Amino acid sequence: MAKDLAVAPAERVPPIRPDYLLVADSVPALIGIVAPDGAVESCNRAVLEYFGATLEEIRGWATSKLVHPDDIPAVIASQKHSWETGERLLSEHRLLRSDGVYRWFKIYGEPLRNAEGEIVQWYLLQTDIDDLKRAESLLAGEKRLLEMVALGRPLAEILNALGTFVEQMAPECKCAVFLIDPGEHKFQKGFAPSLGEAYTRPLQGVPVVPGSAPCGAAAVNKTQVIAFDIESDPRWLASSYRDHALAFGLRAVWSTPILSRSGEALGTFAVYQLHPGSPTQIQQDLIAQFTHIASIAIARAKSDNAIRRSEAFLAEGQRLSSTGSFYWRRTTDEIICSDETYRIFAIEPGTPVTVKLITSRIHPDDLQRFNARVEARRTDGSRAEAEYRLLLPDGSIKFVHLVSKTTATESGEMEYTGVIRDVTAARVAEETLGRLRSELAHVARVTTLGALTALIAHEVNQPLAGIVTNASTCLRMLAADPPNVEGARETARRTIRDGERASEVIARLRALFTKKTTTTGSIDLNEATREVVALSMSELQHQRVAVRLEAADDLPPVKGDRVQLQQVILNLLLNASDAMSTVEDRPRELVIATSSDGADVHVNVRDTGIGFDAGDPDRLFDAFYTTKPTGMGIGLSVSRSIMELHNGRLWATRNRGPGATFSFSIPCEAPDLLGAPGLTDRHQGMMVG
Amino acid sequence: MTATALVSIVDDDESVRESLPDLLKEFGFAVQSFASAEEFLASGHVDETRCLVLDIAMPGMSGPELQRELTRRNQPIPIVFITANEDSSECARVLDAGAVSCLIKPFSETALLRAVTKAIQTE
Repeated sequence: MAKDLAVAPAERVPPIRPDYLLVADSVPALIGIVAPDGAVESCNRAVLEYFGATLEEIRGWATSKLVHPDDIPAVIASQKHSWETGERLLSEHRLLRSDGVYRWFKIYGEPLRNAEGEIVQWYLLQTDIDDLKRAESLLAGEKRLLEMVALGRPLAEILNALGTFVEQMAPECKCAVFLIDPGEHKFQKGFAPSLGEAYTRPLQGVPVVPGSAPCGAAAVNKTQVIAFDIESDPRWLASSYRDHALAFGLRAVWSTPILSRSGEALGTFAVYQLHPGSPTQIQQDLIAQFTHIASIAIARAKSDNAIRRSEAFLAEGQRLSSTGSFYWRRTTDEIICSDETYRIFAIEPGTPVTVKLITSRIHPDDLQRFNARVEARRTDGSRAEAEYRLLLPDGSIKFVHLVSKTTATESGEMEYTGVIRDVTAARVAEETLGRLRSELAHVARVTTLGALTALIAHEVNQPLAGIVTNASTCLRMLAADPPNVEGARETARRTIRDGERASEVIARLRALFTKKTTTTGSIDLNEATREVVALSMSELQHQRVAVRLEAADDLPPVKGDRVQLQQVILNLLLNASDAMSTVEDRPRELVIATSSDGADVHVNVRDTGIGFDAGDPDRLFDAFYTTKPTGMGIGLSVSRSIMELHNGRLWATRNRGPGATFSFSIPCEAPDLLGAPGLTDRHQGMMVG
Repeated sequence: MTATALVSIVDDDESVRESLPDLLKEFGFAVQSFASAEEFLASGHVDETRCLVLDIAMPGMSGPELQRELTRRNQPIPIVFITANEDSSECARVLDAGAVSCLIKPFSETALLRAVTKAIQTE
């Protein structure tokens, strides 16, 4: 348009043609014509209508409020520049509309020159860019707030900035954001940049109910609540909030719920005006847009909190269970570790974890195994478990249990995700337990030996008594006059027989004790049981116990330590005998039965004694559990340990009649001896990983 | 006190039943031997027995039980206990219950003679 004017006929003072005026008046932009010195000469109708002023009033713009007072110096400066240089005038400033609202305009000014090239007039085209400006600053504000959300800035900072921005965009309003405690149904902290804490603090803890305040109603009903004038609104006449709001000069109160994606009320966004009223469309748009941003910010803060809580929870769980987690990308050897993993490896937190650092912590004896396993080809989804020792810089040793899973990425890279658990305490306890067990076994052996010694004495003393008596008789017969040679021969013969008997006893004992070291061999449990029964026969007779051995025919051999198994049998016989020592009203019967089901050999020792209380029969096998006043309670617990070492079982059952039956079973010896498991094989499984 | 005083032996151990009578006969006693307390009680020799040489541990009725049974029957025969068990508390118990002596196997002929003689004198 300005260009069209510029090509107007070059006359000294060109007349304004009526057709042109007609065109100018029909343009919805503001057009002004000013003299080279800036004096307003004329304008189109749109100008007069916009200002609601006369041409005269418009001419005095520099001293009136038609141009926003803040913008006047810049307007004058840019005009002066153009008047002097003849360069196109370009500026933006606010003009006062007839309804009292300033709106932003963009001004283009083009000079009109005569034939000599002198400027004779300026034509100014002023375009309303207020909506554009507003949209731009809204966008900028929104962007800044969303940036703050994305950067994880504190919620209070974001909500205060949001309030400040809204108040900038709508200077006639004040605003506040209130958070709601979901569990308590109360308003939490509020953020009101211009009203301040004096306004928000008293509202903290107010119940979220419709009658408390417009915000309560908005949150409960999940819909916007407009109080045109809080002073006279019947809904809150009785509420203390009304007085609170009036004390701050607030009249119009507009509350909008801030809803989560799932529709839960996270808080409210309140906008106030100092005079009664309802929100304009612009204000409503502003409210809708910033309620949405507040909801994003609050939801993010909530999920951040939840993540922090869950991270703290996880870290605490890892710490309590001495379990760390790690992620290892094989191609780049990028390793990410949890705090507990750092702790387990005794690596300073924050130190970059490298493969070299990890391997430097593995015990040298386990390193080869560790490396071999790491290098082993893995397939997607495969799982590995292993136990290693760590040798830490301070020289201490840790036992760790490692479980990892291999995942293949889309590009085929292998990643390990896993957990590492410090099992040092368990291993140390196991070792201690093992040591304790062997100590107990020793005690039991000594105890058993004590019992055996008495048995030996008894067994040997019987024939010895015969020998001494016979020898004495023999001497007497020979010393008689005449000597009773026939009698002496007879007694001497008996002496020899008793001597042989004694040596048989000794031979049996030797059979038992020459194998005193732990040796694994093939054992016929019938024979082993017979030996024990023979040795304890006199003790059992002494206790008036009738013993019966029911040995199964063709009993398969078992593999194990003969002495240890015989100790178990002896222990069961002596226990059975003890259990019957107070029994007077029924026969004291002890039946030892062997049997086999093909897989295991069973030995049952059944007595007619006092039995044991109902309840957990396993308690009988606890170390130091005893029903005997003089017992040590070690026998059964050690017996059970011995059975477990033989991959067997030892248990007790109550008889249908009086007494108890103690039984044990041991796997039959495998016919194929190659690769047959030894006694300690099952322990190796843990280290194999 | 007479040379024909009857000494009864009750022991389940055969070697004792075989060897002891000969030795006691050498000393001039009359001897009867029994394999169990029950056999002795049923024998009809109870009344004439002047000394009982009695094993402590036997299947069925034990030595101390026979001792109690005789006391109950008011037939207090002097008893010399013999035992292969070195547990001294057993000896103490039977001595407390009135036994003359308690010999631990193997015992010498002197100890046996002293004990049996003492028993017969006690009567």
